[in-house]
Amino acid sequence: MKLKKLTELAMLTALALIIFVIELRFPDILPIPGVKLGLANIVTVYAVFRYTPAETAMMVACRVILGAMFSGNMSALLYSASGAALCLIGMIFISRFLSLKYIWLCSILGAIFHNTGQILAAAVMMQTATFFSYLPILILSGSIAGLFTGLCAQLLIQRLHKTEKTP
Amino acid sequence: MPDKKAKFILIITVLILLLCAVWAAFALRKPSGQRVFIIQENKIIQELDLASEKDQEIRIASPDGGYNIIRIQNHEICISEADCPDQTCIKTGILRSENLPIVCLPHKLIIRFAEEGEQP
Repeated sequence: MKLKKLTELAMLTALALIIFVIELRFPDILPIPGVKLGLANIVTVYAVFRYTPAETAMMVACRVILGAMFSGNMSALLYSASGAALCLIGMIFISRFLSLKYIWLCSILGAIFHNTGQILAAAVMMQTATFFSYLPILILSGSIAGLFTGLCAQLLIQRLHKTEKTP
Repeated sequence: MPDKKAKFILIITVLILLLCAVWAAFALRKPSGQRVFIIQENKIIQELDLASEKDQEIRIASPDGGYNIIRIQNHEICISEADCPDQTCIKTGILRSENLPIVCLPHKLIIRFAEEGEQP
C-alpha cells in the first residue's frame, strides 16, 4: 500500500474516532438501547464511495476496535463489530448499483444492515429471540439517522468531486 | 435520466420501512399480564407478580462480579442501579411492553413480561 493511501486512511480513522468520542457525550435521544445518530458513519459512507472495499474494511475495523477501547465498553465490541461488518458488506455491495446522487439511499440501507447485525449478535450471544422486537424500532430510527449521515457524506463527496475537477 | 436501479432499491427500502412500522406498532402493544420474569444467562432466576409485589429493591449479582439493582415501585419494575459500563438498562426505564424487555447486555440480564400461561 502506498504511503499516501495509508496516511489518508489513518486520518479518516482518526476523524471517525473523534466524531465517535464527541457523540458519546451527547445525551440519549430515546430511552431505547442502541438508538443513536452514528455520526461517525459519515466517514464510513465516504470511504465506501472513495476507497476500495479492503481499504474501507481496514479503516472501519480500526475504528470499531479503538472506539470500543475509548468508550471503555469492551463488552459492546461484539455487537458493534457485527453491526459494522454487516453494514459494510451491505453498503459496498449496494454502492455498486448506485450513482453518487444516491449516496443517502446507500446510507439508509447501511443503517438497516447495521441494526440487523447488532440484533443478530445480541440474539446469538444471549440465545434468545426477545431482541428481535427491538429491531423495527432500531431500523426506523436508524434509517432517519442513516439518511442524515448519508446526506452529509453526499454533500462532501460531490463538493470534493467539483474541486478535484478544477485544477 | 431515470435511474432504474436506484428506483428499485428505493422501493425495496420503503417497503422494509413500512414493514418495520407495522412490526413496531405490534411490538409496542401493552402487556397482557403482570407477571415478570428475571432472566440471567438465559435461565429464569426469579418470577414476580407485579400486581401483588410490595415496593422493594432486589440485588442481582452477576457471575462475573457485577450487579444490577432492580426496583419495584407502584407495581412497576425498572433497574435503578448497575455497575455496567453502558447503563443502558437504567436508561430503558420502566418495563412497559411485552415485547420490549429491559436488557443489560454486559451482565446478560433480561427482565420481561411473562406470556399468558408461560411457566418458568
